Amino acid sequence: MLGMKGYTKQYGIKMRGKWAGLRPGRMLLWLFLAALAVIVLYPIVFLISGSLMGNDELASYLGAVFLGKSGYADFPPLPMFPTLQHYVELFLDSPEFFVMFWNSVKITFSVLIGQFIVGTMAAWGFAKYDFPWKKGFFLLYMILMLLPFQVLMLSDYLVLDFFGLIDSLWGIILPGVFSTFPVFIMYRFFAEIPDSLIESARLDGAKEWQLFLYLALPIGSSGIIACMVLGFLEYWSLIEQPMTFLKDKSLFPLSIFLPDITSVDKSGMAFAASVVTFLPAVLVFLGGQDYLEQGIMAGAVKE
Amino acid sequence: MKDRKWRRVLGTLLAAILICASLTGCSTGSKDGTGKDAGAGGEDGQGNGTESAGEQAMGRFLEEELDTGVVFGNIYDMKKLEDGSLRIIGTNGDNGNSGVWDSSDGGKTWQSVYDLPEEMQNPEKGWMDYAAISPGGQVVCAFNEDTSSGVHPVLYLMDKEGKADKMSFELPKEGESLNITTDLLFPSNEWIVLKDGAGTAYQINVSDSSVKYTYELDSDVSVFQLYAVGNTLIAQDETQVLCYDLQTGEQKDSEEALSKGGSENGLFHAVDTLDGGESIYCLSGGGLYHYKFGGSVMEQLIDGNMNSLGAPAFYPIALAMIDEQNLLVAANDTNASSATGICVLKYTYSADTPAKPDKELKMYSLYDNKEIRQSISRFQKEHTDVYVNYQAVLSEGNGINVSDALKTMATEIMAGNGPDVLLLDGMPVETYIEKGILKDLSALLKESGGSYFENILNVYQDAQGQICAAPARFMIPMIHADSAYYSPGEDFDAFTERKDTMVNMLPGTVVEKFWYTCGAAWQKEDKTLDESKITEFLTKLKNAYGEYDSSREGETVGMSMTMEGAGTEEVGDIYLSRGELELAFEKINTNFGLCRDMDYGMQQAVDKKLKDGKMDLMPGQADHVFVPTMVLGISSKSAQPEMAEEFVKYLFSQEAQKISQFGGFPVEKESFRSVIDGHEYEGLGGIVGVAGLGMEERLDYAMEPTPEEEIAKMTGLVESLKTPSLQDDVIKEAVVEQGEKVLKGELSPEEGAAAIMQKVNIYLAE
Amino acid sequence: MRTKVSREKKSRKNKKHKSVWGFLWILPSFLGVMVFYLLPYADVVRRSFLGAVDNRFVGIENYKTVLGNTAFQLAVKNTFLFTLLCIPVLIIIALFCAVTLYKSKYGGIIKSAFLMPMALPAVSVALVWRLLFHSQGLLNHWLSNMDIAGNDWMNNGSAFWILFISYIWKNLGYDIVLWMAGLAGISSNIYEAARVDGAGERQCFFYITLPNLKSSLYTITVLSFLNSFKVFREAYLVAGDYPHESIYMMQHLFNNWFRAFSFDKMAAAAVMESAVLLALIMLLQKAWDSKE
Repeated sequence: MLGMKGYTKQYGIKMRGKWAGLRPGRMLLWLFLAALAVIVLYPIVFLISGSLMGNDELASYLGAVFLGKSGYADFPPLPMFPTLQHYVELFLDSPEFFVMFWNSVKITFSVLIGQFIVGTMAAWGFAKYDFPWKKGFFLLYMILMLLPFQVLMLSDYLVLDFFGLIDSLWGIILPGVFSTFPVFIMYRFFAEIPDSLIESARLDGAKEWQLFLYLALPIGSSGIIACMVLGFLEYWSLIEQPMTFLKDKSLFPLSIFLPDITSVDKSGMAFAASVVTFLPAVLVFLGGQDYLEQGIMAGAVKE
Repeated sequence: MKDRKWRRVLGTLLAAILICASLTGCSTGSKDGTGKDAGAGGEDGQGNGTESAGEQAMGRFLEEELDTGVVFGNIYDMKKLEDGSLRIIGTNGDNGNSGVWDSSDGGKTWQSVYDLPEEMQNPEKGWMDYAAISPGGQVVCAFNEDTSSGVHPVLYLMDKEGKADKMSFELPKEGESLNITTDLLFPSNEWIVLKDGAGTAYQINVSDSSVKYTYELDSDVSVFQLYAVGNTLIAQDETQVLCYDLQTGEQKDSEEALSKGGSENGLFHAVDTLDGGESIYCLSGGGLYHYKFGGSVMEQLIDGNMNSLGAPAFYPIALAMIDEQNLLVAANDTNASSATGICVLKYTYSADTPAKPDKELKMYSLYDNKEIRQSISRFQKEHTDVYVNYQAVLSEGNGINVSDALKTMATEIMAGNGPDVLLLDGMPVETYIEKGILKDLSALLKESGGSYFENILNVYQDAQGQICAAPARFMIPMIHADSAYYSPGEDFDAFTERKDTMVNMLPGTVVEKFWYTCGAAWQKEDKTLDESKITEFLTKLKNAYGEYDSSREGETVGMSMTMEGAGTEEVGDIYLSRGELELAFEKINTNFGLCRDMDYGMQQAVDKKLKDGKMDLMPGQADHVFVPTMVLGISSKSAQPEMAEEFVKYLFSQEAQKISQFGGFPVEKESFRSVIDGHEYEGLGGIVGVAGLGMEERLDYAMEPTPEEEIAKMTGLVESLKTPSLQDDVIKEAVVEQGEKVLKGELSPEEGAAAIMQKVNIYLAE
Repeated sequence: MRTKVSREKKSRKNKKHKSVWGFLWILPSFLGVMVFYLLPYADVVRRSFLGAVDNRFVGIENYKTVLGNTAFQLAVKNTFLFTLLCIPVLIIIALFCAVTLYKSKYGGIIKSAFLMPMALPAVSVALVWRLLFHSQGLLNHWLSNMDIAGNDWMNNGSAFWILFISYIWKNLGYDIVLWMAGLAGISSNIYEAARVDGAGERQCFFYITLPNLKSSLYTITVLSFLNSFKVFREAYLVAGDYPHESIYMMQHLFNNWFRAFSFDKMAAAAVMESAVLLALIMLLQKAWDSKE
């Protein structure tokens, strides 16, 4: 393998030219993929355009579904009379919206910071150290990662209650910090760092914590960022946990605000809130996308 | 070497524990912080755990209803005068005379001072809208003279001894229409403040009826309520509080904290001051608040949740601060002990009563229940050491659906943080009983001493005689129609043979109403449902309903966009009373639904309007059906079962049972009688009420007590009820959803029944 | 000689050293996992042998009840069917897209489009789904414009396919990126060598690309599996507690048991589910190891 790598460096560029060539068959394939992308994006366009429609317009289009009128729902891709009414309503008339927004921010970023500290350490430990029962531990982590929330809900509640964390944002944050998913993802990135590199650093007298700080973190950074982006998406739209562990309305995150307004006849506001909730996620996504891809790529490649 | 390593491990462990500890430390810190923010709502009992651990704060206002000796039919104003006595202007409920009463002993006894002049007492000649008392004891009345040339508003001024004078002030005409008084204050002995229909407030000199200043207040979007203390005029709407100086007529700086307090706690119903207007006492649904002008906080002195002030049917009229520790509130409380509902309550500060009751009883329901709220405020009055924390899980507008709410509740109950008392509205009662969530109530019900409709009370009695849940109220599915469309005693088969019985009715509502009378007949021995019965139900109902006319939808459909699985409470109206006028004016041919109150006069009027009106139990596959409502249970995990029992016992007592807010008939016989006998119409001399769908379609009905034989008939009917409706919201939801499609013609009855069975079978198999 | 000895010593010391350090690195995480996941899990296992509310010991009674429960059987069947169908289809479609988009100029934009659905909150998705698949919804509107009879999509067998599409829709971008990562790991000189030998594009794909991607398959499968659980959120928000029987999944059952205080059954089913998960992961790992 090592020998081949050297070879690639010389001929790689030549290859790329051939790969990128477009042939008629390929054109068709591309068209198909582009069409698929449009279909995939449709619901998002749908939400954005809905958020810009006035109440009357929405009622006339969607009456069939929400008001039980006869006929069919209709939905043009662009609103006839665009209005920012729902955004104004959301930002100016619902003070609780901001409270919820900040709660979401608090939850998401606290979890991410925690995961960054705890998760990377654990992943590093699993990836590059040998200790008894390592495989067993890792297996356990994977199973816990895959268990549905409902299963542990009651017992989780009992534990959180014991620590006095019910009805506190920490009751959402702490279990998030210790989630095993980031460990699983980052493990793959760290595992990829060549052992020889670590060994030579050790021979140069690097301490173990220095290895982690100056070697693991920089090399695995793309993987860590990837993991953070995924974590952001997960915790930004958390529903079950806050619904169960929080009672005080002033602690609710944005993700619960959404079902709230879909339950009344304010579909316009539901659309607007969807878009506002979606936006930060998209920004984080676009910002982190390159890293995300690099990261996932690095992670999926097995030596 | 080895030691050092272990030490390191230990060190890390310790560090980890420290981190955890500091985090939990933070969490309690943040909880207290947010608790303060949310404290205004006062709904949440969670944050108080840490406080009660410390020293208990003492001192609270206790409520007491005064026996005034006079039965007030109305109170317009009540004030503490400069000489320290108290004065009320009101109407004597016994003879209908309006007059003024004084009390010199802090409200214990009231002596009539004078009656209003003759011309103001005669209902033929006009009526009084408002009256206000000045600090010096003068009284001003806004009176509407009913003369041959039309209604004419005038102001009467009476001096302290009752010498009356018509004031020369004239309200400006408001275009063609009549201008009337919409608010009246008497803040100082020199001037009166009056607001008219156009939203302008006039400050009128008492001496010469001249207008000193005018204030333009109301606009299209907001209507202001006026209050005054000292020289400050306060105008409040939903969102803000404006202050004006009565001396100069200028608007003063806004009082942020007052505005904020007002918008959070609702309109101030009444205000007063003790220091000539330096500070203000305000009464709102949240309780009594004190605010010093220019200050930054509104201080809550009385928590409305712990007494009548927060009760849903309590409307304060006037507040009179006797001193800092004693105050009177005149109020209209439909559930007060006095027949007219007008009462005077006294609040006295008790220094040796804990500030917050030391015991908290939690009660949960899915939907808000007014009878419960009312009962709680009464119960707390008698049990000052108990705070009943009642939460209607779904009504708080947090978008949680039934299923999630039940899940959260299940978690809390299992963790021992759950409710002590449950109002099982829409909760799976049978499942809860089966799982042992609920305690046996049979002993408690025996003790409570009322005489009950046993056939209804004991519907959840099991084979061992245990009663783990009992309905405190019930409704009866009934039908009201002309004999052309329905003859009494007709069964479901015969009724559904007829055509045109259900014109202009919504399919979903029809299915839901018949679900109550039919669903009970579907259950087989093994608790599964009989598909053939459901098919029969849908077939016959479809036959009777006829073709669905979708063109008429827009007129009757209610707005609702609930997520699937959310409560269907607000969709359609299933109550009998809602259809009576439509029946009378032949918008519908039969009126059926759940009967939850009895209005004999109305029923008579409708019967007369129809050729041959008849009222009877609603036909269905099951017969003699009733719907248990306000089903109560005590959690078997409750940490304070005795207090929970006491509260539930109270809810079954006559006092609580007689409260009527349309939650159903009381299960206690004496209370049942008092709810249907129309005693509130007694002595009114047969007033005629008018109800109608529009100007053209009006129905006059007598407001009179129910005749004895009708009461007996109704009681007999209740005693004959034997089948409880099927209390299962999951099945009901499936039936209504599919049944609606069948009536709309989207599905055949067979398909509908199959779809119902499919959902229900999974549910029952779980 | 001297250096050799010292180095051996050092490496032995290192080994021990490393093992302690390994523990240290995972310790904070493990403590948290223990408190917030293992402890609750242990409680679940305990509950699986107890009565629901009264906590009396019932042995394996709960397991027997659950296994004989028809709702459980239905949920297991549906969940298996869904995972067995969805994951392979998703993986294959994603692979196809990834190979096409890989290293092309416009691939980035299209890929971004595919990734977008991941960022959409479940509630918003449910809102759109409801508008689309309602019996009077948009899909039926379009169909009726084309004179095709509509359908009450969420209330018959098609509900399963809607869930299926929704899963693919949401996770396609994720898996495309994962596959691209795998593709990036194949050194291009292998292709070059093959081409020199006269291999066509198709042969390259089947004889070079596919075998080299085998190692990525494990990660992709596990992650797709994990994401397949998340589709429940949408299903629940769109169709409620009792959806059409074809999409009645394990989580529906857990949810409903929870609501009805059937913690005994839920715990037993959860323990069984984790056993199955364990077996599946071990199986996957084994398959993966043997392919190396």
